[in-house]
Amino acid sequence: MAEDFELLDKIKKGDPQAFEEIVKKYKMNVFNTIYSVMGNIQDADDIMQDVFIKVYDTIGKFKGQSSFSTWLYRITVNKCIDEIRKRKNKFLSYESELNEEETFKLKNVISDEAIDVIDELRKKEIEEIVRKTIDLLPEKFRIVLTLREIDNLSYKEISDVMNVSVNRVKILLFRARQKLKEKLKNVL
Amino acid sequence: MSCNKFKILLSAYIDGEVTKEEEKKLLGHIKVCPACSREFENLRKIKNLFLLMEQKKPIEFFETRLFARMKERESKSGLQVFGQLVKKLTPAILILFLLILGILNIGRFFHKEPNGSVSTLLTDQKIEDDFDKTLLEIYYGELNLEREV
Repeated sequence: MAEDFELLDKIKKGDPQAFEEIVKKYKMNVFNTIYSVMGNIQDADDIMQDVFIKVYDTIGKFKGQSSFSTWLYRITVNKCIDEIRKRKNKFLSYESELNEEETFKLKNVISDEAIDVIDELRKKEIEEIVRKTIDLLPEKFRIVLTLREIDNLSYKEISDVMNVSVNRVKILLFRARQKLKEKLKNVL
Repeated sequence: MSCNKFKILLSAYIDGEVTKEEEKKLLGHIKVCPACSREFENLRKIKNLFLLMEQKKPIEFFETRLFARMKERESKSGLQVFGQLVKKLTPAILILFLLILGILNIGRFFHKEPNGSVSTLLTDQKIEDDFDKTLLEIYYGELNLEREV
């Protein structure tokens, strides 16, 4: 964290290399957060550019009241929300449920205790199905699940990013999981 | 505590976000409540699904694309600033131009050309002829046109 503040000071003084270092350090996290919420690699790439440009433009406003990563996640989540709202009318209605084949494949994996040792090909296939299921959720649930399960943030960190109380995070995650459970009712 | 409250607590429990006291109550309840026990099992399965989600790598040369876009934006914004400046200053420049033009011409408005000036020469044929004759006399002395003829 101290290292981040040092880099941020350098960026504020106009050091382009410090900015490049910040980009290199956080691009994996930012990319995976956006990808998990948006579900598309090209979108994730475009939005990630917007995120880092926003960071560069507003770095002077960052006063260090939270950690840099919290601030970065907040910008990332807000950019995703902006993009989703912009496209709301353009989104094609996706299938609302998993099909029979997907349900069968997922059921086999989910009942398997050794979920972490399944072969790569099957893993990729299942990952796609899980991603599709997550994509079926409303945006706020996708975001809160991403911050918890993909970014491994604590409830306190999620509450800082989403600007809500820890109790609200608790309820949001509970509701997100209930929705997910509903979508996976034929699998569980 | 009702089952619904325990279910909310279960979701927090699988994330390791409950207090010791809550954990104790929860584990005690699961032992005696089959519905909450089933719920716990389902939540655990759902959580495990996320273990399958591998980290994706960003598209190659992200930094190159980002910095190119930032550079392009900078040059665009420079042009935009110039454009906006021109747009803003155009009425002022126009007013200034008209003002200068007015000041330069105001003297002409009040000034009257005296008789026999160069400008009168250009419009009066007789004076023009006299002027030519005077010039010839200066260069060649007094002319005796009749003798030459």
